[in-house]
Amino acid sequence: MNFDVMIEALPDLIDGLWLTLGLVALALLVGFVIALPTALARLSPLVPLRVVAGAYVFFFRGTPLLVQIFLIYYGLSQFEGVRDSILWPVLREPFWCTLIALALNTGAYTAEVFRGGILSVPHNQIEAARAVGMSAVTAFRRIIWPQTIRQALPAYGNEMILMVKASSLASTVTLMDITGVARTLASETYMPIEIYTMAAMIYLALTFSMSQVIHLLECKMDVTRARA
Amino acid sequence: MAVTTSAPALEIEGLEKSFGQVKVLRGIDLTADRGDVVSIIGASGSGKSTFLRCINMLETPSAGLIRVAGEEIKTRQGRNGLEPVDRRQLQRIRSELGMVFQDFALWSHLTVLENITEGPQRVLGLGRAEARDRGEALLEKVGLSEKRDAYPAHMSGGQQQRAAIARALAMEPQALLFDEPTSALDPELVGEVLRVMQLLADEGRTMIVVTHEMQFARNVSSKVMYFHQGLVEEEGTPEEVFEHTRSDRCRQFLSGI
Repeated sequence: MNFDVMIEALPDLIDGLWLTLGLVALALLVGFVIALPTALARLSPLVPLRVVAGAYVFFFRGTPLLVQIFLIYYGLSQFEGVRDSILWPVLREPFWCTLIALALNTGAYTAEVFRGGILSVPHNQIEAARAVGMSAVTAFRRIIWPQTIRQALPAYGNEMILMVKASSLASTVTLMDITGVARTLASETYMPIEIYTMAAMIYLALTFSMSQVIHLLECKMDVTRARA
Repeated sequence: MAVTTSAPALEIEGLEKSFGQVKVLRGIDLTADRGDVVSIIGASGSGKSTFLRCINMLETPSAGLIRVAGEEIKTRQGRNGLEPVDRRQLQRIRSELGMVFQDFALWSHLTVLENITEGPQRVLGLGRAEARDRGEALLEKVGLSEKRDAYPAHMSGGQQQRAAIARALAMEPQALLFDEPTSALDPELVGEVLRVMQLLADEGRTMIVVTHEMQFARNVSSKVMYFHQGLVEEEGTPEEVFEHTRSDRCRQFLSGI
């Protein structure tokens, strides 16, 4: 092991860290925004809503993220309509393509996590909300959602960490995230062990701090340890 | 909102309910004047809980009229029975009917006091301070002042049910609906809940109580209804129903307890 090489690689890898962080944060944000309506649509009594949301989840959960990235990055550009559209400046950028794939992917998984959380809220508590005269929106916001997020937090935390690792696939479409930088450095220095070890340690630091934050949140929210 | 003080607190006419082909309620009438305590008794499966749940439309009736303090719930015939025409009206009327469930149904992520202030704040639009004052007074009334910051999971069944009663009272309802409020309780906890209900009856509150507690039905009610197979088989004062039972089925039911 050449420790000097590891130390020298650090500044470049840190540059990659910012891109990784940006990708993951945006993907999680957009994914969350997609996931909530998707989960509600999956539970809706309206068949068309259930079918559309179900198909979306089916596709993005059932295919590899790498294929999804390739489909969006390489696949869409094949269509003249896409190349001529106003979206082309976005869809030709690997960053946006990767972000779209990551967000759609985590959106599908998170929708399932939320759906499970919503289903875990005892039915009688929802009835009690209706009986007191709450509208459906108020009941969701005040009674269902707070319990959903408590229930879903461990699984959602898991999904967040999976996203950090999944973001390394961005390197396959030329993005210089942590893995992208590491690949370049490894081929320049011929010292893959040193470089990738360093990259792995950065990922570890990132996922470790995230799991700590999630754990803290879980403790903070867990008001009913002895849930009957 | 038209306040018709002379109107009965609760009036039900011709209430029917079917689950598929099965007719669970076959035309029930009920009138509860202000201060009436109506006990509904009957074997399980007789439709008494379903009836209670139809009153605030947690269950969709197939036919019938429901009036709360003279105001009729506006409905139309839908595919699965009577649908509310006006969601907001239904929500307002529900807020005027305090409901107490068999399994308490307290909101488990909220403290006892928060359970009680939630409805007044979110549905009636009361300010936080006012809702808390109201909540604390009610906790005092049901004997739970020291539990105000406890979560439901950390309380006994009797305490939870008393908190649930306080939650219903916080809406200052026209009538209270009790759905077998002591059936899920350990025997030694039944008394504390019945005492609170007795207190409410003494205060002159209008109560509809589905119950298996014959002592309560006999001693506290102003009227008793015996349900059998979706019909009112016998009704009258407690004395009429318990001492001078006319229906054979009702006599059989009472002797079997």
